Amino acid sequence: MSFWEVTKQLADGFGVTLMIFGITLVASLPLGLIMTFGSMSKIPPIKWLVKTFVWIIRGTPLMLQIILIFYGPGLLGLEIKLPRMTAVIIAFIINYSCYFSEIYRGGIESIPKGQYEAGQVLGMTKKQIFFKVVLFQVIKRIVPPMGNEIITLVKDTSLARVIAVTELVKAAERIVTLKGLIWPLFYIGAFYLLFSALLTFLLNLAEKKMNYYSI
Amino acid sequence: MKKKIFALLMGAVMCMGCMGLGGCSSDENSLNGSNSSNADNSGTGSENSDSSTDSENSSSSAAGNSDWDYISNKGEVVVGITYYEPMNYFDENGELVGFETEFTKAVCEKLGVTPVFQEIEWEKKEVELQSKAIDLIWNGLTVTEDRKENMAFSKTYLNNKQVIIVKTENADKYTDTASMAGTSIAFESGSAGEDAAKADETLAGCELIGCSAQKDALLEVKAGTADLGILDYTLAKASIGEGTDYADMQILDSVELASEQYAVGVRLEDTETLAKINNAIDELAQDGTLLDIAKKYGVDDIYAL
Repeated sequence: MSFWEVTKQLADGFGVTLMIFGITLVASLPLGLIMTFGSMSKIPPIKWLVKTFVWIIRGTPLMLQIILIFYGPGLLGLEIKLPRMTAVIIAFIINYSCYFSEIYRGGIESIPKGQYEAGQVLGMTKKQIFFKVVLFQVIKRIVPPMGNEIITLVKDTSLARVIAVTELVKAAERIVTLKGLIWPLFYIGAFYLLFSALLTFLLNLAEKKMNYYSI
Repeated sequence: MKKKIFALLMGAVMCMGCMGLGGCSSDENSLNGSNSSNADNSGTGSENSDSSTDSENSSSSAAGNSDWDYISNKGEVVVGITYYEPMNYFDENGELVGFETEFTKAVCEKLGVTPVFQEIEWEKKEVELQSKAIDLIWNGLTVTEDRKENMAFSKTYLNNKQVIIVKTENADKYTDTASMAGTSIAFESGSAGEDAAKADETLAGCELIGCSAQKDALLEVKAGTADLGILDYTLAKASIGEGTDYADMQILDSVELASEQYAVGVRLEDTETLAKINNAIDELAQDGTLLDIAKKYGVDDIYAL
């Protein structure tokens, strides 16, 4: 198998990796914010419920969550059959929403109370204060920790192979198994590296743009 | 005051989010339910609930003796495999071929269903089977007593054996299992190779390395992180030698490990399916089709029927 053929096959696997990454990111960013509101809620049952949920999700391995979501219904004798990819994406979205929600919470709580009070003095509504004053400062502050999670997400996609979804690592392992070649297994490191280089660049760009909000 | 309103608002948003999510997933459930029962998902709530009761009925009768209905209603049987030569692999055109591939297709043709080959992680084959993610395990599956607790086996069709592989330069060092004391041995976790290693007194005392695939055991030996590897004979024969990265390795002929049988794995309760598969295997053995397939893929030396 030539270098070019291997690269082409790995590119297919990389496509799956990117799909898991993209869908998870797009869905988790807003879902995480909703969960933040829940965990900061003044209503104890909601707060308690969300915090317990976050504890369970952050306290168990993502790999286990994927296995549970895919095999769980069938093992319980239910007629639900999720496609493998769907099960992976659901598990990733739930998991990453929880992590994102805690980062958001840290960001929101870091904004001094004085700003809320100033907003109230100016006659702004709570909604206006949050969306026009607080939110953009929060976004600026959470870019570095979010960058961490986003780059971790790129590599976490390799967990999808646990239920035999052919992402990049699995694609390489298939070549190793079928063609007796070993080097593709290490070659995929380059895919991950290049992609996280791109993400790092974008995150830096975002951080620079946010300089406007520096105090 | 405004704080409370804000909190309530956000609570409401949160609840709506939850309900939206819940709604989504239950929609998906009923959709899947109707899909799997009779493919009449016309979408309205009442029809969905109708079809879900239908599927409940069919599953409760499945507890009786209609495991075959479950498969024949689907029209397809999902076969759990891993890719390896000469059982299930890709030819130059990217077509799935191999002894097991053709064998499965031949049996399914007799049964009137379409095989769907689904790659699985081998160590999760029991979970895959039990959760109905797959219907059969058909991939050089070795019959063992432990596995009989979790699945039923068809007739055996190949007699395989486990062999020890070693770097050619070290081959002379090992003449019998006693000479292997103190070495490190790699095999696939949960495979018959692991059983073979643990069954032998000397080998069981060595450093045992459980890998996630048989090919990883080869990699361990190649990288020098293990001295010896235990693999299926069929796999070892196909994957080491000329043109591979494992040209400097060989099968150790001097040591015999336990021989074993290959069979199809079926859910324990799927007795009707099992009987149908056994009948089909018999027919294919009698008219010589199966032997022809075995010859085509070079496994006729271990043919068992």
